[in-house]
Amino acid sequence: MAGPPSTPEHGLTSRITFRCDLGEARAAARALRDFLVTLGLDETELFNCELCLTEACNNAVQHASPTGVHAPVVAAVSAHGAEIELTVTDHTPGFALATRAGPLSPDHDHGRGLFIIQSLMDEVSYFRGSRENTLVMRLARRAHPLPPPLPASAASDATGRQLAECRQTIGAMARELCFRSESLAAIFRCCSELGRTTDLAGFSQRLLGDLLHLAAADWFVLRLNSADGSRLAVFATSTAKLGGAPLPLAPRDASPGSAELAAAQSGRELEFATRLASPAVEPLCAAGPEATGRVHPLLFDEMLVGTLAVGHSTAGSPFSALQVEMIRTIAEFLAIHVVSARHQDEQLRAQLVAHELEIARRIQRALLPRALPQPPPFSLAASWESARQVGGDFYDALPLGEQSLLLVVADVMGNGVPAAMFATITRSLLRALAGRGHGPANLLRQLNELLYEELSAVGMFVTVQLVLVDLVRRQLVAASAGHCPILVAGGAAAGVQTLCPTGLPLGIMPDSTYCQQTLALADPGTLLLYTDGLTEAQNPAGEMFGQERLAEWLRDNFPLPGADQLRDRLSAEIGRFRDGAALHDDQAFLILAGGSVASAAPAPIPGSPDAAPIPSDAHATALHAGSPALAATD
Amino acid sequence: MKIEHDGNNLRVSDIAELNALNATTFRDEVRAALPLEPGTIEIDLSQTQFVDSSGLGALFSLYRAAHGGHNGVTMRLLNPKPPIQQLFELTQLHQLFEICCR
Repeated sequence: MAGPPSTPEHGLTSRITFRCDLGEARAAARALRDFLVTLGLDETELFNCELCLTEACNNAVQHASPTGVHAPVVAAVSAHGAEIELTVTDHTPGFALATRAGPLSPDHDHGRGLFIIQSLMDEVSYFRGSRENTLVMRLARRAHPLPPPLPASAASDATGRQLAECRQTIGAMARELCFRSESLAAIFRCCSELGRTTDLAGFSQRLLGDLLHLAAADWFVLRLNSADGSRLAVFATSTAKLGGAPLPLAPRDASPGSAELAAAQSGRELEFATRLASPAVEPLCAAGPEATGRVHPLLFDEMLVGTLAVGHSTAGSPFSALQVEMIRTIAEFLAIHVVSARHQDEQLRAQLVAHELEIARRIQRALLPRALPQPPPFSLAASWESARQVGGDFYDALPLGEQSLLLVVADVMGNGVPAAMFATITRSLLRALAGRGHGPANLLRQLNELLYEELSAVGMFVTVQLVLVDLVRRQLVAASAGHCPILVAGGAAAGVQTLCPTGLPLGIMPDSTYCQQTLALADPGTLLLYTDGLTEAQNPAGEMFGQERLAEWLRDNFPLPGADQLRDRLSAEIGRFRDGAALHDDQAFLILAGGSVASAAPAPIPGSPDAAPIPSDAHATALHAGSPALAATD
Repeated sequence: MKIEHDGNNLRVSDIAELNALNATTFRDEVRAALPLEPGTIEIDLSQTQFVDSSGLGALFSLYRAAHGGHNGVTMRLLNPKPPIQQLFELTQLHQLFEICCR
C-alpha cells in the first residue's frame, strides 16, 4: 500500500495545477507524460501513466463537489529510484477505493476508470480528507531507470548517476522530513496551546482533528480510563454518533468484546474491521459497516490512561507505516498530557483542601480562651489537641458574677470550615446567653432553638456539655446536649461519679428540651469534662482508651493539688496509651480541681476571660503544650 | 476523423485520440453514419495515440448500437498500438471486436 502523497522536490517532480475542466485535465496528463518521457519510460509505461493520470484527472473534474468545481485540481508525477509516483488531488466528495475488482463485464461502464488504474498500477491509495482527497498511484518501472537528463555541461555519466542518486536520497529524506515536520508542527501547535488552556477536552479535540488531516483518516474516538480504573468512557470523538456508553474494563481473562477493550487489556495496538464485528459488542460499528482502523492504547508507565481509535469509514485503505507512526506519536503525547492534566487537577484540589484546613485551624484557635479563670480555691486547666482533619471541638470557661463559673465543652460534628464556623457561632451565642441567669438546661434549649435551622439545613449537629459551678456553695448543675458524661471525683464514696444528664444534640430536633442534674462538689473534688476524642483515642492495636479507663485514672490520681498537674498527667497517660498511634479525632478536656487540699497558689479572679491579664505562664495554664499558638478571643 | 462508406460497410479512421473530450462526438457521429443493414465496421486505430475509459465506453456503445437487431455484423479494430491493445484485453473489449494488425 502506498504511503501518503510524497512532497515533490525539484528536478524529479513535475506538478501541474489546473482548473476543473476536462480539456485542461487532458492537457495536464499530456504534459506530465512529456515529463515522464524525459525519465526514459518505455511506450507502455508512458501510455499507462498517461492513461491513469487522465482517468484520475477526469474523475476529479467530473465528480467535483459544488464548491470543489472552483478549486484547482493538482496532478503531479515524481520519480523515486525505480518507482514512479502519480498523484491527483481532487475536491470531490470522495469515493470508496474497493479492493481490486475482477475483470469488468464488457459493457459495464461504471467504475471502469478506477478499474483501469488499479489494474495498471502496482500500488494505489486514496487519502480522503475533509477538504480534499489525494489519489496516489505507484508504478515500479520494469526497465532500469535512466538517470534524469543533465545539463550539457555536466560531467561523465557516472557522475551524473551519482548525482541523480544523491538527489533521490535527498528527495526521499526531504519527503520524510516534510511529513514528520507536519506532525511535529501539529504537536508544537498543541503544546503552545497547552500553556493557555486547561480545557483538556477541547485540546484533545483539536489535536485529534489535526491527526485526522495528517493521517488522512475519517474519524476518531478517544476514551479515557475512569479514576477507579473500572471503565473506558468516551472523552472526544470526531462525530457525535461515535459517542457511546462507557466500556466496563472486565478482568483480563475475560475475552474482550470490542477492539478498544482488547487494546486496553493487552496494551497493544491492533487493527480492526467493523464488518467482522457484532454491533452488539463493538461500539466502533457506529463508524460504518465497512469501517476499518486501528486502536492504540494510551499508556503512561504501563498504566492504562485510555484508548485512541482512528480509522476510515470504508474498507481498503489501511494506514501507511508513517501514518501509523503519526497515530502512535499522538497517542503517546495525549497519554502524557492527560496524566499531567489530571495531576494538575489533583494538585489544585490538594491546595484548596490545605487552604481550607488552614482557615479552619485559624478559626478553631480563635475559639479557645486566651486564659482560663483561676478562682481560689479552684484551679482550671484544659487541653486541646487537633487531629489532622479539623473538627469543631472547643472548650470555654465563663465567670458569671462573683461566685459562679460556667464550664463548656462542645463538639461540632463535621469537618473543615463549616464545622469551625458552627463552633464559632455556638461559642458566641453561649457567651451572649450565659449572663442572663438561665440554668444550663435552659441555655441548651435556647441554643438549640437558635441553631436548629442552620444546623439541620447542612445536616450537622453539635454536642455540648455545660456545668454551672457555684464556687461558694460547691454545687454543680450539669446539662448535656448529647455529649459525653462528666466525671466527678471526691467525696465520701472516694470513687468517681458519672453525670450524664439526657438531651439530644443541638440541631437534631427543633424543640428539644434538656434536663439538668445537680451534685455537690466534695472538698477536695475534681471535675473532668471531655470530648469523645479523648475516650476514643486508640492504641496501635486499635483498642480505645474508653470511659472506664478514664474514670480509673481519675480515681488513681485523686486528690492532686492542681488542675494543671492533672492535665499534664492525663495528657501523658493518653500519650502512653496511644503509643504513637495517630489521632483520629480532636480531643479536648477541661479539669476543675478544687478544695482546701488542692488549692495551690492563689490566682486573681478575672471579671471575664477577655478582660483577664494574661498570666506569665498562660500557655502552661490554659493550654497544653502542643496546642496551637494563642489567638485573641472575640 | 474520417468516415468512409462502402455499401453496407463502414470505415472510420484518422482518430488521434478517443478520450473524455471527444468520445461522445465520436460515438454520435459513427452511430449516425451506420448503414441500415451494416456488414463490416472497421475502426482504424493506427493513428490513435490515446484511448481512455470514455473512449472505451464509446466503443462499447457503438457495439451495442451496431448489434441492435442486426445479426452478422463484423466489428473490427485495426492496428491499435500495443499499449492500447493491452487496454482492450484488460477491459475485455477484444471479446466483442476483432482486433486486426495488418
